Amino acid sequence: MAIGLLYLYYKLTGFRWPRKSVLFILAMLLFLLVTCSPPHYLGMHYYLSAHMIGHILLLLICGPLMVFSLPEQPQTLRRFSSFLSKRAWLAWMTGVGIMWFWHIPSIFNHMMSDMPGLAVMPLLQAASLLFAGILFGWPLFGPYPEDRVHPLSGIIYLAAACISCSLMGLLITFAPLDTYYPFAGIKRMDNLWGISPKEDLQTAGLIMWVPCCLLYLGGCLLLLRRWLTGDDRRRNKHIIAVSN
Amino acid sequence: MRDIVLVPEPEESLPGMTVSNNQGLLQWISSVDHKQIGILYLWLSVLFLLVGGIEVLLVRIQLFVPNSHFMGPEMYDQLFTMHGTTMIFFVLTPAIFGFATYFVPLMVGANDMAFPRLNAFSFWATFFGGCLLYFSFLAGGAPDAGWFNYAPLNQYNYSSSQGIDYYCTGLLFSGIGTVTASVNFVVTILCYRVKTMRLQQLPLFVWMILINSFLVLAAFPSLNAALAMLLLDRQLHAHFFSAVSGGSAILWQHLFWLFGHPEVYILILPVFGIFSEVFPVFSRKPIFGYGMVVGSGIAIALLAFGVWVHHMFATGLGNTVNSFFAASSLLIGIPTGVKIFNWLATMHGGKIRFSVSMLFAIAFLIEFTIGGLSGISFAIVPIDWQLTDTYYVVAHLHFVFIGGSLFGLFSGLFYWLPKISGRLPDERLSKWFFWLFVIGFNLTFLVQHALGAMGMPRRVYTYPNLPGWTILNQVSTVGGFLMAAAVGLLLYVLVKTALVGKPAPRDPWDANTLEWTTASPPSLKNFDRVIPVRSTRPFRDYKRPGDVDYKEEPDRGHMEDPNEGRPEAPGTPVRAAASPAGEKNRDYSLMIKLVVGTEAMFFVCLIMAYVYFSFVPGYTAQSGSLDIKSTGMFSILLFSSSFTYWLAEKNYGSGNFRALKGWLLATIALGATFLFGQGREYAHLLHDQVNIGSSLFGTGFFTLTGFHGLHVLVGLVIIMIITGLSFRGDYADRRSSVIRTVGVYWHFVDLVWLFVFLVVYVSPHIFK
Repeated sequence: MAIGLLYLYYKLTGFRWPRKSVLFILAMLLFLLVTCSPPHYLGMHYYLSAHMIGHILLLLICGPLMVFSLPEQPQTLRRFSSFLSKRAWLAWMTGVGIMWFWHIPSIFNHMMSDMPGLAVMPLLQAASLLFAGILFGWPLFGPYPEDRVHPLSGIIYLAAACISCSLMGLLITFAPLDTYYPFAGIKRMDNLWGISPKEDLQTAGLIMWVPCCLLYLGGCLLLLRRWLTGDDRRRNKHIIAVSN
Repeated sequence: MRDIVLVPEPEESLPGMTVSNNQGLLQWISSVDHKQIGILYLWLSVLFLLVGGIEVLLVRIQLFVPNSHFMGPEMYDQLFTMHGTTMIFFVLTPAIFGFATYFVPLMVGANDMAFPRLNAFSFWATFFGGCLLYFSFLAGGAPDAGWFNYAPLNQYNYSSSQGIDYYCTGLLFSGIGTVTASVNFVVTILCYRVKTMRLQQLPLFVWMILINSFLVLAAFPSLNAALAMLLLDRQLHAHFFSAVSGGSAILWQHLFWLFGHPEVYILILPVFGIFSEVFPVFSRKPIFGYGMVVGSGIAIALLAFGVWVHHMFATGLGNTVNSFFAASSLLIGIPTGVKIFNWLATMHGGKIRFSVSMLFAIAFLIEFTIGGLSGISFAIVPIDWQLTDTYYVVAHLHFVFIGGSLFGLFSGLFYWLPKISGRLPDERLSKWFFWLFVIGFNLTFLVQHALGAMGMPRRVYTYPNLPGWTILNQVSTVGGFLMAAAVGLLLYVLVKTALVGKPAPRDPWDANTLEWTTASPPSLKNFDRVIPVRSTRPFRDYKRPGDVDYKEEPDRGHMEDPNEGRPEAPGTPVRAAASPAGEKNRDYSLMIKLVVGTEAMFFVCLIMAYVYFSFVPGYTAQSGSLDIKSTGMFSILLFSSSFTYWLAEKNYGSGNFRALKGWLLATIALGATFLFGQGREYAHLLHDQVNIGSSLFGTGFFTLTGFHGLHVLVGLVIIMIITGLSFRGDYADRRSSVIRTVGVYWHFVDLVWLFVFLVVYVSPHIFK
């Protein structure tokens, strides 16, 4: 899947490797890290917190990184982009909604217990998070400047998402132990780092709460910097002048 | 001839009225002029400063000697509680809002705030809240559980006098004033700026007020939720905070500090803005790093919501939780530090003038840093465990509140007093005030760091005769009286200035921003014309055309007037081109979104409490007594009322007034039916002995659905009013934004019900 995405990206850039492609490659590496590597195994079988870190990476870093790295020129994604730009709330709902969706205990537990069989569900989950991350980041960092929301509105967009993320983190931190029961039981068997199930649940919730918020804050600061330095405006002017 | 800009003037006024400058005393009570309201806020603040100061002087007398019997513990508790509550909510907050109310419109080149009557309401709500709080002295005793009023001490069985109820209601009212004022600020700043002023050219004080207003809108709902829950606990014996019946005392702490920590940033951010004005003016240099000051302000506002647990390190939440919040608390010191360096860099290499305002600013740098360092030490959890609830905290909070906020307010006072009063204060006496206050302040609070480290607990009415405690307390008390003397001197200076001060020129400090272009004091109508704004120091550019801050951009005409749609030749005077109707729609639309946002936060707090309780075993089992089917049906009716309202809006837009009226009536019918359905559900539950005081479930259910029902009722009343008005023919011109504005509120109320329904009725079935 990673190779497929990589090829798609290459095509979008017109079969060149611009500088921003570094970001895309980084995103792909992180994706692989989350889905196929030892930390992934840790997350699937042992620690909810490790699982959490992986998913946050997918949704909030891989996805937006991919969007960020998209070049401006190709017209292929224009219609999708302008459709989304008029409905930024849709992107917001996707990003926030998918987070709440996967955390509903019955869905979460069902997905985890699917594991011994086909590895489809986890992959589906990972892919959905990646896609949601792309959609979420599009109005903020999308390749076409005129489709981006105003940076200050972007800050409110991110702040609202941050509140939602914190709320969920809060709930998970203080939730009863058997909410996500696959993790409550597994760890007692071989507990490498001596983290108790309760601590693990709390840590997972807290990771969602605090560091996740910092990610949103980072996004806000990026937007602010872009707004204050007038990058978009200059780009806009160029485009308006060209179209005139 | 220089470029001048016409300021858009309100076109409607009450019939038969003329604008006059008659400043009779009675006019102050009915004034909607932002300048007069600003002055009212400031006088309120001075009044409560005296009252709160007297309270704490009594406290300090009590603490002068160990085992003192000057007053008993009951009186002591009331005095320190009222001192804290008064100083925070009725001195610092009104003073900040007073300066903001007075100067934000002036600094953005507007003639008044976006909603002048709302502005007046905000002040009077704050004033009324203060009166309500102080009435408690006459009603059996003031609140006595500390300004943060922890559960279970605040419950009816532990605090049976009515003081805490007055605390709740007083703060609810003044909180409403604060929130509405913040809505006003945001709309004014975003919609009523003079046309040439871009957001990147906003004065930093205005920026900080803008950021601060969002903080207020997001934080006060948490306090309001906590206060409402406490009132329900105390008056109707609900179970929110009583652990005995399944509630959670620590929930109070969470809700309170979720508000409380952003509150301290609410009190300091505008002051950062004041300093960002004062430092450049008195160093004769532009602010160093405008973007960084704005960015760090936004960072502080966002991070403020991620650190509140550091007030609860000693409550046993566990190492995991504590460590995360320790990290985030350490982090939040960074943006503040950035600002301190910005101001230092502003001063560096400048031609500094040591006016009283600047003296307070420089003192702030030192005192606030001390306060900040003691604060950061609390982020380290074991240190917090040792020092929490000792005088070390008292020292810390006074260094940041007084050394930070109050010094900023004094700095702003001496900076802006010539503009507000039209007279120059006595420089010599003011400097005496400064030194007396600073010496007194340091004497009072520096020693308290030591007292705290030695273990003296706070909020205890007396102390034992331990070595070193007595002398330090005495030093502290002497310092307190020095501060009191200084405040007395300040009052004298203010009165003397008002009566016999030298008339002040328009621009006594050679300052940079637009408020200094008006007369001192400004006329009732602030501006006829506004000088063009091309940088963050527009007035300075105007005074020194050879040394301007902006770079000449040849094609500025392209980007300047989005309303015009045509490029203008550079240099032609810019006109306010937007139609009044277009402007009104934009600001009402923004206003209702802000109101909806803050109400959404309120419901988030209520829903979170409900979900938190649902983790308690047995809670959701009781929801079996809920009638999901009929409530589901009534919910569908409510959602369809949103649809009918939307149809009403569409028909209004296309001019079909009969359809408008029809759909509005349908909306009312559907909404009323929903309320009837709720009433039925309530009746069934009450019949089964399930009420707000019967069990935790009853508490959660009735509160959440009750508040929602209240919002529906309010919405229905408003819709009935506009339906009545539409029958009278009021909206025939199709330009009114009322229908759309009310629509936003109504859709919001319906959306909230969707969440409430899912959480209360549906989720127990999913999560069985």
